[in-house]
Amino acid sequence: MILPMVVAAKSLNKRYRDVVAVAALDFEVEKGQCYGLVGPNGAGKTTTMKMVYCIVTPTSGSLRVFDMEVSLQPRKIKARLGVVPQENNLDPDLTVCQNLMTHASYFGLSRDVARSRCQELLGFVQLSERSDSRVPDISGGMKRRLVLARSLINNPDLLILDEPTTGLDPQVRHLIWDRLLELKDRGITLLLTTHYMEEAQKLCDRVLIMDQANAVDMGSPAGLVRKHVPPYVLELRVERRLIQKIQERFRHLGHQMSGQNVYFYGNSQDEFEEIVAAYPDTERIMRPASLEDVFLKLTGREIRQ
Amino acid sequence: MKAGILAVTPAFFRVWRRNSQVYVALLKFNILPSLAEPVLFITVFGLGIGSYITEIEGVPYIEFVAAGILGSAAIMQATFECTYGSFFRMSIQGTFESIISTPVSASEVGLGEISWGASRGFVNSSLVLIILFFLGILDRWQVMFIPLLMFVAAFNFAAIAVLVTSRIAQMEYFRFYFAGFILPAQFLCGTFFPVSRFPEAVQVIAWTIPFTSVIDIARTLMLGRPADFALFLEGAWVFISTLIFTELAVRSMHKRLVR
Repeated sequence: MILPMVVAAKSLNKRYRDVVAVAALDFEVEKGQCYGLVGPNGAGKTTTMKMVYCIVTPTSGSLRVFDMEVSLQPRKIKARLGVVPQENNLDPDLTVCQNLMTHASYFGLSRDVARSRCQELLGFVQLSERSDSRVPDISGGMKRRLVLARSLINNPDLLILDEPTTGLDPQVRHLIWDRLLELKDRGITLLLTTHYMEEAQKLCDRVLIMDQANAVDMGSPAGLVRKHVPPYVLELRVERRLIQKIQERFRHLGHQMSGQNVYFYGNSQDEFEEIVAAYPDTERIMRPASLEDVFLKLTGREIRQ
Repeated sequence: MKAGILAVTPAFFRVWRRNSQVYVALLKFNILPSLAEPVLFITVFGLGIGSYITEIEGVPYIEFVAAGILGSAAIMQATFECTYGSFFRMSIQGTFESIISTPVSASEVGLGEISWGASRGFVNSSLVLIILFFLGILDRWQVMFIPLLMFVAAFNFAAIAVLVTSRIAQMEYFRFYFAGFILPAQFLCGTFFPVSRFPEAVQVIAWTIPFTSVIDIARTLMLGRPADFALFLEGAWVFISTLIFTELAVRSMHKRLVR
């Protein structure tokens, strides 16, 4: 027997008047997986997520969550979801604990169940001591942890996280990663978007790269790196006047430009020897290729509006 | 996804409860300021102007104007709650989006907001009713129907307010709503003097606004006047228009929130 997918999208489309936000998207998320959507701003990641949690209606195509169609059974689907939206939409007039209690009430949880869940979850995100603080009085990192705790109040089977760690300090980011991996170990399926390729590489089993409403490629982080870029990268920071000269001289080596940086790609570090010899005093970094290189290769290094 | 009153389950009450919890948390900011206007109205219209106009339609002015002050307290409170209050929750705090990410639907958010606005209008006008009672203005048993009537009036205006809120892109549009509808409603609907004093055209406009009927029914009850068939029609208009506005508001809120 084939287990139904937690999320299954087939030629999924979303149009807002004349703007195509998501075009002919196909993807499947297996139970227990951490699935990442990455792509430049405006690629359609958030719209895709919002269709999964049923607050944006697909224009056409099929989107099934827990084997139910989103447009037909949103209430049943949402009862099993946890959502961490891009913006912290906490209740500023309520305390930390009251925020969780109120959210629990939307799921119809009894006060006793909600209270014990509330204590447990505040411990999980290390906020127990701030239980009675008002939301405006806690830090940005605490707010993000509170939103994570809130998303878990109903013991969800699928957790949706829209840029869970954007703008957070490294300590909080590591704490959140740690907690997400723990949730994954418990069998919870994770669907997340991120702008940090390090985060995608660390957390995700599968990554879908989106650009301008379309899927560009999909695979495991390591698989995508193998497929799209050679294993080694040499980053060279050079003066502008030298850029063209270098480009011409090392035309035979695969390279990309970004501002004052030239990125060379090679199958071994030896391939870079002649460059290093030619420009010994230039600032440079040699490193293994990463998902970030794949991302920039597939979606371009230029900044787009 | 279905929208409208018929798609609403009792889960709408969870939205009401969320608002009531915030109301209680901010109680000291809520009770006294909202009583300022009605108390001012009692002083200015009842006692100030009332000392010049001693009698109107055969009763002391303060007794005449009491129904208007009560009605005004109900609709103004409901209107503020479901215009600025709802808009703030919807667009600035993101509260509605956090709610509709749970099993509660957008239609339920709409009805939850309307019923909450109605409740605030009810509470406010009931407090005014108590003040009027202690001023010795109320002495008929029919007065016990007033709170229910005020709840319906507040419901009516809360529904219209949510309809407007769900349609506007920025808060500033409320200025048109207040200047073009709320302020005229507050003063044209027989609140402070009889509608019959207006030119015919204005009377027609006034009677299409359900608030005129509300005031007339309230006054009939408070002054112990006999009820007639016209009064029954007025009641029906208040009730039916409330239903219509509620349905429109709930559908419109769904359209705003689920895109």
